[in-house]
Amino acid sequence: MKKFSFVIIFVFLIFFSVSVVYSDDMVLVTGRMLSSAPVRLNDQSTEEYPSVLGRIKLKVSKSSLHFLSLMEGGVDGTIRSPRRDHYLFKNYHDVYQDNTPYLEFKELYLTKSYKSFDLKVGIQRFSWGRLDDYPVNDLLNPWDYTRFILKSLEDRKIGVPSISANVSKEDWAYQAVWVPIFVPYRLAKPNERWSGIPVGTVFSKINDAEVLSGEPDLASNKLENSSFGFRMQRMGEIEWAINLFYGFDPRPVFKTTELSISEFQGKLLIDPGIVPSFHKIASVGTDAAMVKGDWSLRAESAYTFNRFFNIRSDLWGYPQSLIAGVTPLNPIEIKRDTLDYGIAADYNLFEDGLLTMQLQQTLIFKKPDTLYNKTIETILWANLKVGWMNQKLETNFNLASNPEHGANMVKANAYYVFDDSWKTGITAILLDGPPQSLWGMYSKNDQIGMEVVYSW
Amino acid sequence: MNKLTVEKVLSGVTNNQSCFLSVSWGGVIAVTIAMMILTLVSVAYSMSGREIYENVHAVRSKALDRKTEITMVLFDKGGGKRTRTLTEFSKKVDTQAYKILVVFNSPADLKDVGFLIHARTFADRDIWAYFPEYKRIRRIPTNSQDDSFFGSDFSYDDFSGPPNLEDYSFKILSEEVLDGKSCYVVEVIPKVKRKYTRYIAWIAKDLWIHMKIEYYQEDELYREGIFKDIKIIDGIPTPFKANMVNKKSNHATELTIENIKYNTNHPDGLFTQRSLEGGEVSEK
Repeated sequence: MKKFSFVIIFVFLIFFSVSVVYSDDMVLVTGRMLSSAPVRLNDQSTEEYPSVLGRIKLKVSKSSLHFLSLMEGGVDGTIRSPRRDHYLFKNYHDVYQDNTPYLEFKELYLTKSYKSFDLKVGIQRFSWGRLDDYPVNDLLNPWDYTRFILKSLEDRKIGVPSISANVSKEDWAYQAVWVPIFVPYRLAKPNERWSGIPVGTVFSKINDAEVLSGEPDLASNKLENSSFGFRMQRMGEIEWAINLFYGFDPRPVFKTTELSISEFQGKLLIDPGIVPSFHKIASVGTDAAMVKGDWSLRAESAYTFNRFFNIRSDLWGYPQSLIAGVTPLNPIEIKRDTLDYGIAADYNLFEDGLLTMQLQQTLIFKKPDTLYNKTIETILWANLKVGWMNQKLETNFNLASNPEHGANMVKANAYYVFDDSWKTGITAILLDGPPQSLWGMYSKNDQIGMEVVYSW
Repeated sequence: MNKLTVEKVLSGVTNNQSCFLSVSWGGVIAVTIAMMILTLVSVAYSMSGREIYENVHAVRSKALDRKTEITMVLFDKGGGKRTRTLTEFSKKVDTQAYKILVVFNSPADLKDVGFLIHARTFADRDIWAYFPEYKRIRRIPTNSQDDSFFGSDFSYDDFSGPPNLEDYSFKILSEEVLDGKSCYVVEVIPKVKRKYTRYIAWIAKDLWIHMKIEYYQEDELYREGIFKDIKIIDGIPTPFKANMVNKKSNHATELTIENIKYNTNHPDGLFTQRSLEGGEVSEK
C-alpha cells in the first residue's frame, strides 16, 4: 500500500519535473477549493462535519506532447467511528476507503498527438454515451459512491490507469481503450451518512455496536481481468456512435454471506454479511444526437450480457432478532441480460434558461421474482439551469423519479458569483422512497448545505 | 435630404406627369430642380443598403482566416467586474463555408469551455459546445444565436462569422460622422424571427466595418455596441475594442483584442471535436 502511494507520487514528480523543465509551449495551473457545511433536516440521520476539498489541475504542453494532472484531496466531513489509520492516497484495491483526509489523482496522463491520432497513457476518465447522470454506455470508469448523490457525474468517476488510442478521419472518430488492471467502485461504510446499505445503518443505531464491513475478495490484477472498450463515432446531421465494452460491471451489486455478531470489550461487533460482488459483463450499445428545430435531442441504448442484480432484502435471510454468533444468509445471486435505453432533450426555455428532460429504462429479460428490480425500471429526470444577472446568480433545479418503486429526489442549488475567484452557494436535497430503492436508501438524509468556492 | 424625402418628391413628379407637357415654365423649373436633387442624392447614395452590407460582408469574410486573443471584461451595474480571456481560431474553407473554434482560457470555472462552428454556407451551420463539467460535447440549436455569450452582453452571433444577407433587408437612413469617420447609417430588418426586430448600424465608408450598432426590440433600444481603436492589420480594418451595453440592465461588456494574426491558414484538424474536447488545441 505504501509502495503504491510512493509509485503514484514518483510517477507524478517525474512527469511534472520533466514537463516543466522541457516545456516551452504552455504550462497552466488552475485550482479550486470548496468548503461546505451540511445541515441535517432529520436528526435520526448520521451526522457529518463540514468539509474542505481542493483540486489542482496542471497542464503542460510541448509540441505534440501534453501532460495533464488533476489531483483532488481534502477532508470530506465523513464521521468515521471508530477512526482508523489509513493511507493518504486512494488506491485501486479497496472498496471501503477513508476520505478524512485523502488525496487522489482523478487524472494523470500523457498524450502524444499526431495529425489525426492521439495516444494517451495514464489515469484517465472517459465519457461515452449521450445521457446525463446515468449514461448507459459509460462503463469504463467505476464510480465513487461515497457521496454520489452530492457529486456531479464526472466527479463520481474514478480515474482508471489505462491506455487509449484515438483516431480521427474526416467525419469518423475511433477510440480504443484498455484498462489493464481491475479497479473496483468505492462505497461508504455501513455507519457513514452516505452508506447505501440500509441494514448497516439500522445496525449502527444499536448502542455500543460497531458495524464492520470487510473488504470483498477482488479480482487479481491479471490480464484476464482487464477491461476493454471500443467506440466508433460518426459526425453529421445525425451524430451516432457504436460502443463496445467488456469488463467488470461498474454498477454495485451485493451478495449475502453470513451475519456475524460477536462481543469484544463490552461492545457488539456486527458484520452484516452484505458483500460487494464483482462480475464481468459484455455490452454492445449505440448512441445518437441531433438538432431538430429548437430542440437538441439525444438517445442511447445498450444490450448487456450477464449483468447481476440485487435480490429483495426480505430474502437476504436476516433473523427476526439478533443472536450472537454466525447466522448463514441466503447466498442467492442472479444474472440476466438487460436492455438499457433512454432519450433526452434540451430546450432553451428563455435566454440563459436551459431545460433538460430525460427518460431512461432498464428492461430485464426473464426476470425472476427474487430480484428487487421490476422487469422495467424507469428513471425520469429533469433539470432547469438558469443564469441570472449575466450569470452573477446561477440556479439549478433537479427532479428525479423512479416510479416503479416510488423513489424520488429533488435537488436545488443557487450560487452567487462574487468575482472571478469567489462564489458561494446553497444546496438543498430531499430524498424519498423505500429503503432498497435508488434514492430511498438515503431517505433520512435530507439536508441543506452551504458552500464557499474559490477558484484560480 | 434623406432618401425618403427624395422618393416623395419623385413620387409627386410622377403623379403630375400627365399634365407636365401642357403646363407652365413654373412646372418645368420645379421638375428640373427635383431632378437635380434626385441626381445629387443618387450620387450621394450611389450604393444601396444591401450593397453597403455586401462590402461589410466582404471585409468580414476576408477576416475569417485568423487567430485572435481576446480579453472580455463584464461590468455590473454596481461597479463589480469579471474578466474572461479566450482564443478564437477561424478558417475560410471556400466562398461561403468557414469554421470557427472559440476556447476560454480563464477564469478557472470557464477554462476549456468552448464552442465549434462548421458553416457550410452563411445560412447553414452546425454548432457544438463543450462543457468540461460533463466532459461532453453537445450540438446546440442555432436559434440560441442571439442569447448571451457566457454571461456577457455579446451574443453567440457576435462570434459566429458573417450573417446570411438574404435573411435581412437594408435601408440607408442617413450619413453621419462618428468618431471622426464618415459613416452610412443603415437600418437592418431581419426577415426571419430573431430576438431583435431592428438594427441601426453605423458603417464607416471605405473601411466597411461597423462603428456602432443599436439593437432594438420593436421601438425599444435593447443594447448598443460601439467599436473603436481601429487599426489596419494585413489590409483588414480591425476594431481592437468593442463595448456592448445592455440598456435594460445597464450591464456592460468590454472586449479587447490583445493579439490578432490574419492569414493563419490553420489546419483542418484544429476545427474538430477532438480539439474542442481535449482542450489540447494544436495549431500544427
